[in-house]
Amino acid sequence: MMRKLIAPLLTLLLVVGVGAGIYVSVNEQLGKERIVRVRGLIGSEKEDFFRDPRVVAALEKRGLAVDLEKAGSRQIATQFKLVNYDFAFPSGSPAAEKIKREAKVNKAYEVFFTPMAVASWKLIAGILEANGIVSQRDGIYYIIDMTRLLQFAIAEQRWSDLAKHEAYNVKKSVLMATTDVRQSNSAAMYLSLASYILNNNNIVDSAAQIEPIIQRLESLFLRQGFVENSSAGPFNDYLVMGPGKAPLVMIYEAQYLQEATRANSGLSDAMTLLYPEPTIFTKHILIPFNDKGDRLGVALADDPELQKLAIEHGFRNRDAAGFRSFVKNHSLSVPDTLVSVVEPPTYEILEQMIVMIEQRYKGN
Amino acid sequence: MWKAILLTIAAVALFGCEEKKTENLTVLAGSELRDMEPLLGDIEKRTGIKLLMTYSGTLDGAERLIAGEPTDLAWFSHGKYITLVQGEKNRIVAQEKTMLSPVVMGVKESVAKAWGWAGNPNVTWRDIAAKAESGELRYAMADPASSNSGFTALVGVATALSGSSDALSAKDVDQAQLGGFFKGQQLSAGSSGWLVDAYVRENGRLNGIINYESVLMALNRDRRLEDNLLLIYPKEGIITADYPLMLINGQKREAYDKLVAYLLSPEFQQKMMEQTLRRPVIPQVKLSAEFATPLLVELAFPNDLTAIDKLLFAYEDKHRRSSHAYFVLDVSGSMAGQRMQSLQTALKNLTGQDQTLSGRFSRFRSRESLTFIPFDNQVYLPQTFTIDDPSSQSTSMQAVRQYIDSLQPRGGTAIYQALQIAYRMALVAKGNDPDRFYSIVLMSDGQNNAGISEQEFAQFIAALPPQDQGIKTFTILFGEASQEGMRHLADITGGSLFDGRQSLGLAFKSIRGYQ
Repeated sequence: MMRKLIAPLLTLLLVVGVGAGIYVSVNEQLGKERIVRVRGLIGSEKEDFFRDPRVVAALEKRGLAVDLEKAGSRQIATQFKLVNYDFAFPSGSPAAEKIKREAKVNKAYEVFFTPMAVASWKLIAGILEANGIVSQRDGIYYIIDMTRLLQFAIAEQRWSDLAKHEAYNVKKSVLMATTDVRQSNSAAMYLSLASYILNNNNIVDSAAQIEPIIQRLESLFLRQGFVENSSAGPFNDYLVMGPGKAPLVMIYEAQYLQEATRANSGLSDAMTLLYPEPTIFTKHILIPFNDKGDRLGVALADDPELQKLAIEHGFRNRDAAGFRSFVKNHSLSVPDTLVSVVEPPTYEILEQMIVMIEQRYKGN
Repeated sequence: MWKAILLTIAAVALFGCEEKKTENLTVLAGSELRDMEPLLGDIEKRTGIKLLMTYSGTLDGAERLIAGEPTDLAWFSHGKYITLVQGEKNRIVAQEKTMLSPVVMGVKESVAKAWGWAGNPNVTWRDIAAKAESGELRYAMADPASSNSGFTALVGVATALSGSSDALSAKDVDQAQLGGFFKGQQLSAGSSGWLVDAYVRENGRLNGIINYESVLMALNRDRRLEDNLLLIYPKEGIITADYPLMLINGQKREAYDKLVAYLLSPEFQQKMMEQTLRRPVIPQVKLSAEFATPLLVELAFPNDLTAIDKLLFAYEDKHRRSSHAYFVLDVSGSMAGQRMQSLQTALKNLTGQDQTLSGRFSRFRSRESLTFIPFDNQVYLPQTFTIDDPSSQSTSMQAVRQYIDSLQPRGGTAIYQALQIAYRMALVAKGNDPDRFYSIVLMSDGQNNAGISEQEFAQFIAALPPQDQGIKTFTILFGEASQEGMRHLADITGGSLFDGRQSLGLAFKSIRGYQ
């Protein structure tokens, strides 16, 4: 009796099972067809934003899924076949401009921005404070004398040459660690800032103004030796390798804030962020190469949910109130507005400086 | 009956599931990554990606990549040199650091205590150089041209001893006081793994070794030494290997991303740290208590290929102990024709005629002495040359080439007779000039059929007084030579076997790191 029942039961189960399998898989296929896959090149500091499941879901709601490749922002224009991609999302208007010219595209979306800041250590901030370079206001460290800091760097002073250096008695040069200025935007932003300071606090706007300062600028980069192509690298080293690797690291504020709010954050009490005065903003600009890229640009720039999620990753945008409440919610010590901000030089001038440094790297 | 239903459900589940396919990826890897083998199974299980590893040395690996050797991935202890030499070729599509291990000096604990180095954070490379120069510190270090650990150590030491606080430049290479430091190097090797084994065997006469922190910690953990090593992290700084996984074949991007995601996961990083004693690259995995946590000052790595080339040549031709290499060469009748030609080309390549990356750094060095001992059924008069100028057109290099061209194949094969003569000569030379590396290379294409027997030779080696032991024979397998015999010969002398059947030239080049 039992046995008689088993055979039909088995058949039924099989039919139901296979049927369910087909139903699920067909449904998945249909869903997948509605989603447009968009492939693009991004600056590495935006990877976490795109990998955030909330961002993936928000994009999916708009019928988009993103395939990413990371690269240095300037490298995107120089080393990739842009026709193979739907969009590029570099950091910095100079890199964006270079890509627009390379790809002959006029459209661009300013998705968000972030100020340049310096990832450092409280013990380092203390030494710089004792040397009149850094000062604290409202629990936030500012580099109030960038001129003096650059003078130390250019004069090849070591940390052990500074007054009150006992906490960091190391024979390393006082140099800002950056990425490769030939490949990456964050280093180009440091170049912009340093050129402004060395040009007597004026934006460099002619070849004649480059000439007297270029050698000093070169030394800030060449003496660092081998550096990385994209800004996630030096920041990860900062999180993992301690102050012996690099006591001062030029980063995007957003990188630090994103790490600070991450569950299981890599930041420790010994770490701190320094804000250069003046600082410089980096705009994160999406350049679409076709309609698919354009859809992504529109979504990132206009979708309130995605704009809110960008803030959750430490970026700033039009929604100043949103950023304020993000800072408050996470009890971060972050300046609400930065008053002393300089513009980068024009694309042509910055490019000219980078090319001159590039020649020095080649030994010319 | 329920059992049956469950079985059916299981069957349906199995049937419905797509069989998970394993994807194979080829990896050109540094030989120091052999210790990852036990983790490859986990990687495959968690990612569905099977890594097929091919191992290679520093310059050899860089050369193969630049030459366009097809591989999906490359994985070396660092990618900086490869990034620099690739120039505009851009073979590296993407790279991601996977683990960390600084290259440091391990000193016998008893010795370190006696010198006041234990628990002392102020020991510098200068202190180490002083102990090396005085002859108190006798250490093992791998050859910088063949091994990444030696290469990284050389760059670090030179940067620290140049007095510069920045990345090394060509001008700094001249200023670095390296001679004293390298006086203490009493053992060289073409690979860091072999170096460790040789250190374990010879740690009676040695008291220090330069290698990856992970390798030195493993020596202590596995209790392979009577006198444990104390790890010194010199104050001027060190250079940390960061093991970037490099995507070479852009078609494999998807698999690469999956692989990187797993390698950077806390699960893998934790396991990797526990097993290989390398440091994690993600802040979420905390260093275990086994690791020392001094302030690790990282020295700048040069960005200037000219400076690196200059440094490698300065090491080979000027700073390292000079060496005396004995080449015991089979010129028996069976070598006639193609074989003789291969041998002559391989040797002449070492006179500066091989301009490949690995060839340039494996040529005969300035100050080096070479003795050639050709044999068939008798042993011919040995001929010794000393290289006074390492350029390929120098008188001494030309003389070596002329001599090699004059070799004529004939007669039988008296391997052990020839070897015994090489040992006798080397021992006399060592007595007169002890501050050199002495080593013997044996190349033969056949079986011993004249002169003394293998057994008689083994007895001769075993009977050498302790102070005369330690000259190693590196054997090259060629033609019909017995693999077992050649391996045994290498083993009893502390040397190593190299396979010359594919490329005699490559075998000779590989041995250069040990000479």
